[in-house]
Amino acid sequence: MIPKRAIGWVLGVIAALLVLTNQREVGLARDEIVYMQNGMRYADWWIGLFTFDHGVGREHITKTFGGKGATDNNREHPPLVKTLSGLSHHVLHDKLGVDEVTAFRVPSALLHGLLVALVYAMTLSIWGFAEALVAALFVLFLPRAVFHASLVAFDAPVTTMWFLTVFAYWRSLDACARGAKWPWQPGVAFGLLLATKHNALLLPFAIVAHFLYASRKRILEHWRIAVSFLVLGPVAFVVVWPWMWFDTVGHITDWLKFHMNHVHYNFEYLGENWNAPPFPWHVAVVTTLFTVPVVTLASALAGVVAWLRCRVALPHRTRAPGLLLALSAAASFVPFLLGSTPIFGAEKHWMPALPSLCIAAGVGLVWAARGLATYVRWRGVVPLVATVTIAAAVVETATAQPYALTWYNALAGGAPGGADLGMNRQFWGVAARGVLPVIATQAPATGTRLVYSHDASPAWGFYQKLGLVPRSLPDAGQEQHGIDRSQIAIVIHEKHFRRHDFMIWKAYGTVQPVFVLRAAGVPIVSVYLRPMQSSARP
Amino acid sequence: MPDPESDARPARGWLAALFAVALVGIAIWEIVAIRRARATPDEDWAVAARLVRERYQPGDLIVFAPDWADPIGRLHLGDLIPIEYAARMDMARFARIWELSIRGARAPGLNAAPAETLVAGGVTIRRHEQTPANVAADLRTRLSSVRVEGGRRPTLELAEVGFEPHRCIQVIPDAGKPVRLTFPSLPAGRLVGYAGLADVFTRRDIRRPGRLIVEVDGRAVTEVTPGVDDGWVPFATDIPGGAVTFVASADAPSRQICFAAEVRR
Repeated sequence: MIPKRAIGWVLGVIAALLVLTNQREVGLARDEIVYMQNGMRYADWWIGLFTFDHGVGREHITKTFGGKGATDNNREHPPLVKTLSGLSHHVLHDKLGVDEVTAFRVPSALLHGLLVALVYAMTLSIWGFAEALVAALFVLFLPRAVFHASLVAFDAPVTTMWFLTVFAYWRSLDACARGAKWPWQPGVAFGLLLATKHNALLLPFAIVAHFLYASRKRILEHWRIAVSFLVLGPVAFVVVWPWMWFDTVGHITDWLKFHMNHVHYNFEYLGENWNAPPFPWHVAVVTTLFTVPVVTLASALAGVVAWLRCRVALPHRTRAPGLLLALSAAASFVPFLLGSTPIFGAEKHWMPALPSLCIAAGVGLVWAARGLATYVRWRGVVPLVATVTIAAAVVETATAQPYALTWYNALAGGAPGGADLGMNRQFWGVAARGVLPVIATQAPATGTRLVYSHDASPAWGFYQKLGLVPRSLPDAGQEQHGIDRSQIAIVIHEKHFRRHDFMIWKAYGTVQPVFVLRAAGVPIVSVYLRPMQSSARP
Repeated sequence: MPDPESDARPARGWLAALFAVALVGIAIWEIVAIRRARATPDEDWAVAARLVRERYQPGDLIVFAPDWADPIGRLHLGDLIPIEYAARMDMARFARIWELSIRGARAPGLNAAPAETLVAGGVTIRRHEQTPANVAADLRTRLSSVRVEGGRRPTLELAEVGFEPHRCIQVIPDAGKPVRLTFPSLPAGRLVGYAGLADVFTRRDIRRPGRLIVEVDGRAVTEVTPGVDDGWVPFATDIPGGAVTFVASADAPSRQICFAAEVRR
């Protein structure tokens, strides 16, 4: 019999394996390439440091982690995930022969597994085994979260690090009450969160509000927690980011300025293309309603009702766990109601709200099922209700992959319903991977054929390295110049990318693609052949 | 799955039970709904394309609805859609229009009862008939004769305006300096046109509108002020025969004003 505490880790391993399996079908995201390249350099620097190949000279650090330009060496994003990916590549690919993309993506998958385990652990410690199991399964079967965790990117990891900080803080409230002297964990976790992604800066709003409430009569017990955040947080952040080792204030200012003045990318929402504020206040609300399984949302609603009705009976009431989870979700979510915060990443930008939602769902589902059990008087009611409900989340998750950015839940009507509603189709060029087998059939026997690879351009070299595109089909270059030179062209369908179709029509003299990749019938990538060259239609 | 005996706490009666029943119902609905949420299969499109090809006449326009299905439609029937038709000013010129739609969608501007309706699985084919506009002059074909004052010569472009393709005359006036385009000797009739701002990225970065004024004998007879979110904005006015001047202006630089116009009788 597996001890109840260990089940969370088992679920975590399953979650990581699920992501690692899924990522094999997920194309390379435009930004992923940047993070991989920089991650390898960061990892080499750390390896060099620990093998005494070099020291901590300012020039060497700048060459690897910084530079004069705002995006030199990707210094606009903290290094933790990139460094872990680079180290993973070094060990798993270079030393152990794991395929290159998987090696880069392992840390994100493991962190997603950790999230599942942490959600289980916190729910178990507050509500109980059934709630913990269901909450963890709801996290495991979040279609978009599985997708984002399948990439070398910051959004899944920051969700984990955010929740790790929340959990560590919550545990430290109890630890202090039990006389533990120095709660180092929340500070270190917060520092690592800061080193993951800049939306970390939103969490203190939740922590401070909760701290003021939970510690209002125990400030003498809890003051060390504040010190942990204020001292160890910045220390951990700076330690893992060598670019902060000198001119720290200037570099932090540059980092924050970049995101305060971030360009607004194009994003489709309810049929309109948005690229400048003010954005509709309801983007985050509607997007969440359409990108989380309906059963998870409904269970979370039950959880809120259960919490409101049962909170008096809760253990740990003085530590206000429900309030903490609500504040955590709100801190992540509320900025997107303001109309000025960029919306181009949609749900991935407020993913740290999802653990709270899934815990509410776990609590709500079990509360509801136990309520039914009091009428039915059959011990199988709770497992049955949980199984059927979670099955719906499983089906949604399976349906969504590998083009989960095109997927919307049953409430939206799936991918076609999302398209009807004018919800964003995709971003980052990930779906291009699906047309590579079609393009590969056009490889010439001799010489080369140039391919206008559109938003997959940054990934093209990597696809060739992986053998998914023959070397005889090189990338033609950018925009109209690249199209004019090309014999094959692709368009990744997003509303603002329609102009790429038109540029190709102009150059190729036809509006007819030769292949249209679809997800549940919804077009995601079109392939064109220059008519003189199209001897064989795929 | 969860052990009902563990951590047992008293649940709260009917409301909880109601939620449980609802959750099971929602779950079953969700499983069925998401598995069935698939757009029209390719076989239906292939049948629809065959039906249209059997009835197609040169000069027919083919359109698709909803707009996101457009790439699928062009995959099957794109060889019957000249670029000029895809990048049309509007649909008034066409006597016969084939509308292929899925999921109950309708193409904008085709709300009248069709002359013929066919069904190919999930694809509904409607043939619309109308009296085509009698076009006496298409200004896009007269660009070589235009007289330009105050700025660079306009170009004929296949541009993205409002995320749609349009063959249009593009003018980029300097900020605060109107460009005057005079078309000599246009026939008398109703001048019908559309104007908009090309290129999504300049629309994002420069938020101020453009302006297009139509002048006859030095007097403004109509004008449009297309903004960044306005798309392809129509205008119309009656003109006597002779010279007609289009004055394009903007307060901001790099404003790509694109317009098309026809004189119709």
